[in-house]
Amino acid sequence: MITTLLVVLFTGCSKILQEEPRSIYTPEFFKTEKGVLGGITSQYAHLRFIFGQPYYYNTLETGTDEYTYAQSADANFRDMDLSGVGQITPASSRSDVLWGTAFANINTASGIIENAAAAGIPAALIAEARFFRAFDYFLLVQTFGGVPLDLGAGELKFNTTAYRKSVRNTVPEVYTKAVFPDLITAINDLPANPRVTGGVTKTVARLYLAKAYLTYGWWLQNPNNIPTYPASPRTDPDGHDANWYFQRAYDIATQAIDDPGPYGLVETFYDLHVGGNDRNKEMLLYADHTQESEFYNGSCLNCFGSEINNPPTGSNSAVWMVTWNYTVIRSASNPDGTGTAVSSVQREAAQSLGRPYIRMAPPVDVFLNTFSDKTLDSRYDGTFSTVYRGNWPKGGTTNATLYNANDMPVTPGQPILSFLEDDSQAGSIVYPTGANFPGKVSNGVGAGVLPGRADFVVHPSGISRIVFPGLWKMGVYRTDNGNGLGQPNATSTRPFKIAKFSELYFIAAEAAVKGATTVAGKSARDLINVIRARAGKWKFSNKNNAVFVQDNSAAMVAATPATIDINYILAERSREYFGEGLRWFDLVRTQKWNELAGTYRIGGAAYGNHTPQTVTRTIEPKHYLRPIPQGQIDGMEMTAEEKQAYQNPGY
Amino acid sequence: MKISVTQKHYNASAIFKPLMHHAKAIGLLILTTAFLVLPAMAQNITVKGRVTNENNQPVVGASVIVKGTTNGTTTDADGQYQLSAPANATLVISSIGFPDKEIVVGNQTTINVSLTTRTNDLEQVVVVGYGTQRREAVTGSVASIGGDRLREVPSPNISQSLQGRLPGVEITQTSTRPGATMQIRIRGLRSLSADNNPLIVLDGIPFMGSLADINPNDVKSVDVLKDASATAIYGSRGANGVIIITTDKGARGRKPRINYSGYHGMQTVFAKYPMMDGPQFVALRKAAGQYTNGPDEADDINTDWQDLFYKTGMVTDHSISLSGGTETGSYNFGGGYYLNQGVVPTQQYKRYSLRGSIDQQVGQYFRFGLTTNNNFNQSEGNQVGLYNTLSMTPISSPFNPDGTTKRSIRMILDNQYVYTRDVIEQLQDNNQWLNETRGFASYNALYGEIKVPFVEGLRYRTNLGLNYIQSTNGAYTGQGVGDGLNPTTASAASVDNRYTYHWVLENMLTYDRTFGGKHTINAVALYSAEQSRYNRSHMEARDIPADAFQFYNLGQATGQIQINPANQDYQVWGLLSAMGRVMYSYDNRYMISATVRSDGSSRLAEGHKWHTYPAVSVGWNISNEEFMKNISLVNNLKLRAGYGQTSNQAIAPYSTLGRLETRPYNFGPSTYGTGYYVSQIPNPNLGWEFSKTFNIGVDFAILKNRLTGTIEYYITKTEDVLLRLGLPQTAGVGSIASNIGTTENKGFELALNGTIIDNSNGWSWDAGINFYVNRNKLTSLASGQTRDESNWWFVGHNINAIFDYKRIGLWNSSKDSADNFMNILEPGGNVGMIRVEYTGEYGADGKPVRAIGPADRQILDVDPKFQGGFNTRVGYKGFDLSVVGIFRKGGILFSTIHGSSGYLNLLSGRRNNLDVDYWTPTNTDAKYPKPGGIVSSDNPKYGSTLSYFDGSFLKVRTISLGYDFSRLMRNSNVKMRMYFTVQNPFVLFSEFHKESGLDPEPNSFGDQNVSSAGAISSNQDLLRRLLTVGYNTPSTRNYIIGVNLSF
Repeated sequence: MITTLLVVLFTGCSKILQEEPRSIYTPEFFKTEKGVLGGITSQYAHLRFIFGQPYYYNTLETGTDEYTYAQSADANFRDMDLSGVGQITPASSRSDVLWGTAFANINTASGIIENAAAAGIPAALIAEARFFRAFDYFLLVQTFGGVPLDLGAGELKFNTTAYRKSVRNTVPEVYTKAVFPDLITAINDLPANPRVTGGVTKTVARLYLAKAYLTYGWWLQNPNNIPTYPASPRTDPDGHDANWYFQRAYDIATQAIDDPGPYGLVETFYDLHVGGNDRNKEMLLYADHTQESEFYNGSCLNCFGSEINNPPTGSNSAVWMVTWNYTVIRSASNPDGTGTAVSSVQREAAQSLGRPYIRMAPPVDVFLNTFSDKTLDSRYDGTFSTVYRGNWPKGGTTNATLYNANDMPVTPGQPILSFLEDDSQAGSIVYPTGANFPGKVSNGVGAGVLPGRADFVVHPSGISRIVFPGLWKMGVYRTDNGNGLGQPNATSTRPFKIAKFSELYFIAAEAAVKGATTVAGKSARDLINVIRARAGKWKFSNKNNAVFVQDNSAAMVAATPATIDINYILAERSREYFGEGLRWFDLVRTQKWNELAGTYRIGGAAYGNHTPQTVTRTIEPKHYLRPIPQGQIDGMEMTAEEKQAYQNPGY
Repeated sequence: MKISVTQKHYNASAIFKPLMHHAKAIGLLILTTAFLVLPAMAQNITVKGRVTNENNQPVVGASVIVKGTTNGTTTDADGQYQLSAPANATLVISSIGFPDKEIVVGNQTTINVSLTTRTNDLEQVVVVGYGTQRREAVTGSVASIGGDRLREVPSPNISQSLQGRLPGVEITQTSTRPGATMQIRIRGLRSLSADNNPLIVLDGIPFMGSLADINPNDVKSVDVLKDASATAIYGSRGANGVIIITTDKGARGRKPRINYSGYHGMQTVFAKYPMMDGPQFVALRKAAGQYTNGPDEADDINTDWQDLFYKTGMVTDHSISLSGGTETGSYNFGGGYYLNQGVVPTQQYKRYSLRGSIDQQVGQYFRFGLTTNNNFNQSEGNQVGLYNTLSMTPISSPFNPDGTTKRSIRMILDNQYVYTRDVIEQLQDNNQWLNETRGFASYNALYGEIKVPFVEGLRYRTNLGLNYIQSTNGAYTGQGVGDGLNPTTASAASVDNRYTYHWVLENMLTYDRTFGGKHTINAVALYSAEQSRYNRSHMEARDIPADAFQFYNLGQATGQIQINPANQDYQVWGLLSAMGRVMYSYDNRYMISATVRSDGSSRLAEGHKWHTYPAVSVGWNISNEEFMKNISLVNNLKLRAGYGQTSNQAIAPYSTLGRLETRPYNFGPSTYGTGYYVSQIPNPNLGWEFSKTFNIGVDFAILKNRLTGTIEYYITKTEDVLLRLGLPQTAGVGSIASNIGTTENKGFELALNGTIIDNSNGWSWDAGINFYVNRNKLTSLASGQTRDESNWWFVGHNINAIFDYKRIGLWNSSKDSADNFMNILEPGGNVGMIRVEYTGEYGADGKPVRAIGPADRQILDVDPKFQGGFNTRVGYKGFDLSVVGIFRKGGILFSTIHGSSGYLNLLSGRRNNLDVDYWTPTNTDAKYPKPGGIVSSDNPKYGSTLSYFDGSFLKVRTISLGYDFSRLMRNSNVKMRMYFTVQNPFVLFSEFHKESGLDPEPNSFGDQNVSSAGAISSNQDLLRRLLTVGYNTPSTRNYIIGVNLSF
């Protein structure tokens, strides 16, 4: 009787042991059309976890000729400087940001590629996944050397197993098996016009294939004998030589220039970077953000944001790192420079201001050499925040007039502190020994005075690790400030720029310099001049905060040297892409890192320091590859020897 | 008695499969039952006697019932009773405030009974799960405590009262906020990342709620089942031990009685967080040399922001119940009210509870009953945190020159909103800053029982548990509130709803009889099914136009309304079980208990859902042997041994199916998409985690029962540990739920209770101490590896070990640094920085071969060497003074406020800092590093190593002085006791307390009440498993006056 009863009950209750999730997706969803589409959206979304991530950004800039560590830098930044204040280790290297994001995305891309056809997804969409798989492998191979193509299910296969080992492929294998074939297919299958705003196209894929060919050409050539890892001869499995790749790079880049689709150069450099105009026709790829939706922005819009959340949400806070603490600037409430010390430039969600973190500072020679021309070339003015203007009424301070340098009156909107364009007046500038002049409450940041000027000044050679121009081009842009300071503590709602149409000119020019046969009208000099001519066009002056229309194109072209060499291309690239996270790759590709960034000059970390010190970096050949992150080493089930062999040499 | 103890795994999923395996147990049970069902006849005799309490006072209105019948009576004003009972019967004596007691009549005609609240009384009834036993007959490891002993520590929930009272039951604070619950670990951690919480059984039904849902005043007894033989009957749900709570029910034939208990008290901060004062902060900022004063800072100001913040808290509790019985039934109804207003402004917790139970006999064979436990609770003010207050610069004033309070303080890098208690209370009054969680829970059990006619002792019972738990959180932050910079930051509101529906159905056949006065048998067969359904919905909105709306109409928001998929949840799980158990004892000398249980869980993978496991335990009451009768020194001596398996299914539902994570993204400013990627891969082989426990124990009573005690030793080996395994990034997928590794817990437990003075000249003095050791370690990983550095798992070490550098001091001086090669070990370092141990090699020249790096991280075991509790009670006439305390020796106390994740020990002078002894050129033997030295993530390099303190402490939890007014009201029905209690009066022997003045008990999980959990490890799982001292609501010292009254 009991047995019968139990049988009945068991039968009736068997449903109890079945599971049907209703609030989460399982990997089965990837086999549906909507799942595949979601997977492709995730390909774009993953960009946010790499680009705009401040520590990763730091790995691409600190230690190059564009940036060094600043006063508030912690080990994340000091380590990268290679100037004896830290060291790059598997645990401290922040290239883990890329490593930790890329493989999961590569795997998702492989899943899409495997499942898409069965789910009825057209080739053009699959090509987006192919593009991103190649994109990630290209980033990885440039950063770490050879990386694994087999994630546990076979080469370039979708892994769903708990694979806890890993074998690294060589650099040529990564290029010839993953990067090139995927990009070639992508160029073939992608549309000319983007499917969605910011979507990838033939032109985007061409840029990356051209750049990958160029980079691989350099790798094969290896002019400065930089080691690679895992060990591999500098020969191409596909049987080509470096020159073949330089030629292909040139051909594909010029093909993209000739067949631009909806892309092209915008009118002025200012237009390229002014907030609100981010998704312009020159932008090929960016990690998007929006002020319209907190959820889809991936980060809060009205909060005191963390530079990265834990777990990361993919916020864009890179520009905070390169922003000095201008809010320390003081102006006096009394005409004799005494009274209340008023914070006259307050923290505001404005493109020239934003949230200070003081982690990275540009060395002096950025201003003396790279951007020596500040008059014809609009790019200095379109890159840096050099004039800090009074905004105290927005913070609720009611004084109509404050007293600033030389106890001269200033009103809101007037310059409070200016970084001078050259050292010509250096002899006339009087600097205080500390932060302030004796008996004065104004200043606060150890800036100097020039006779007759109401704004404090700092000459280019007088910048320091604590007082330096901000990076206007990446500054925040919000439309909800009203009459106040807005939300400067939230992460940036602007897209983070990854690739521009203009780079096709640089790639073709570099390939030409490396020996590619050029076509008429597209010599290296011709190509560079397209960029320089555009740089000569002014529309607005940030320095004067006023419209300024001028066309210096002819003069800019005239100033281009007759012979373009690699160093000139690198200098021009720095003018064009300063602080955008391209520099380390440029210096590593061309093996010019030590030559161009081996020493730098900057003032000390205290207010009142205005004498540049020369700092020497120790850039060893091993540094051309970043260490494999400790998390990967820790997470693998391999012997200590195998783990050591997995790590790049010297780490 | 022999029961098959083969353990089997099943591969096929057929429904009948498990049943076939149960059939063995069930068949055996039926056979046994049939064999033993013999008619038994006995002569009735008249029994009389007196029921008294510990002080020899009569217990009025106690019920005396012949076990298993409706035959019973109650005691009169002198405690006297008389009734007619069979000679082989057992009497059950029960009274409110005492554990039930059972006495075998055995032809005695006068039976005087002394009821006692002492836990070791042999005749006391112990709840063993689906039945009760006299303590004398228990063979498993069961620790018990009566409700009265529990209430010696007045508290809102019994977990606080249980702390330190039972050996092997580690109860630790996880939060100090009003209404917070505790973490309970019985005999250590078994699982690496699966749930380690014990099962709570309330009045016989598995309880879904938390201990906070149970009014301590209703509790009659708490029994904790610790070893596998005791918990086997609860199967997988009892894998982490079982806490059985029995509430007061009415007793049959008892006159109606009203019980009131109440207390009221105040709470003060146990210790302020040791932040720097103005001059100290000025000195720090100068020493660090990194920051100048902000616009609102001046060196001559000295403000203690904590003084402006805390208030005196209040706690009050009232509980009233009515109980009684008729000849055929009993009832008990009660209600309670609890309110705790904490020391943090606007934080409060209140609970209304309503409870009822009815038990009714209908005719000779049928009995039914109902118990219902309902509560409504509300907690408020949980949004108020301490970080702002603690990190606020002390050299700033909260007031403007005109006396008004500033909105925010402008420091050099930070604009911090001013949170004083006046500001916070004002914000609440103005509907500008609120956070409320309102919960309603209803736990109901219905049962019906049929005595099978003609077969004495055989009963069939059905239990139906129906539970509903709901909680709603509403939060509202008005425009600009909390934003130190922007007073126009849009308001925000959110609503969060969570529902759980749970049912359990149990069918039980019990056979319970004594034959010939010597053979006692109790057999149970059970089948049960249960299912739980959980659903969470969360929504939030920006820009509510009017503060008065609070969170009541998010649709009125003019800003964005967001429903984040990550905050919605749906979970259903089910469990099917069949079980058989036989307990047999011969002549009260030899006892055996054998159990077989089979569980099927929805959470595990297809083909791995079922697991069957056995448990058996034996006992020998040596003191009942003839040869012991003449040894008067020993009143009781019993040996127990048990072996058994339990299993654990405690992974989240759907873990075996894998998971996609969502990634929202925008294509342009206003076109949106949601991306998916694989974050967890499916595991079609995920099966049960199971533990094998061996337990051996001795119970003894000597010196006329004046010294009683229990000693136990156990080994628990857990296999196929369930956990979420993090994979290396190159796998391309984040993690997998997996059976990986084995763990071991070995332990020793000792409990001693003594009567030092036994009612001599009105004096009595009792003392009890318990002491336990649990050695926890990971014994293997399925991979065969011995180290898993990314998950912090190391074979041979504690499951929750920490993997970090080992701090050995500071690089004190330049000479020290030069002598010890700081230039090689710490490139970029500075004198005065933290020095950690170098574990690498030295070259032929005596110099280290490399810099300090990840290879120098070491494994730090966190578990204490031993811990325990003590209590003592001195009585004189009606007065009693009792002290309850806990102690712990060794292990690591993890203070996140001192380490990197708290952001309160930056030593940079940016914000206020803990008042610590830091290095300066003139104070080189300091503990803390040089301000402004080398940093990592804003903190001193190796700052996490500053978190670790010696975990030893001794803490007196309560000192209570009471007076029993019943003495003044002899022969009256009125009983009354008043008491005055101090909670948390002091702490001794604690390195942490000595340095910081703070309570050494943890108040947070590792990822809570910190500013940047990632400062220690980016793996959140690692931190969540650690209990830490963070900047939570501070511990309080409470002064309470209370009364218990019944009439």
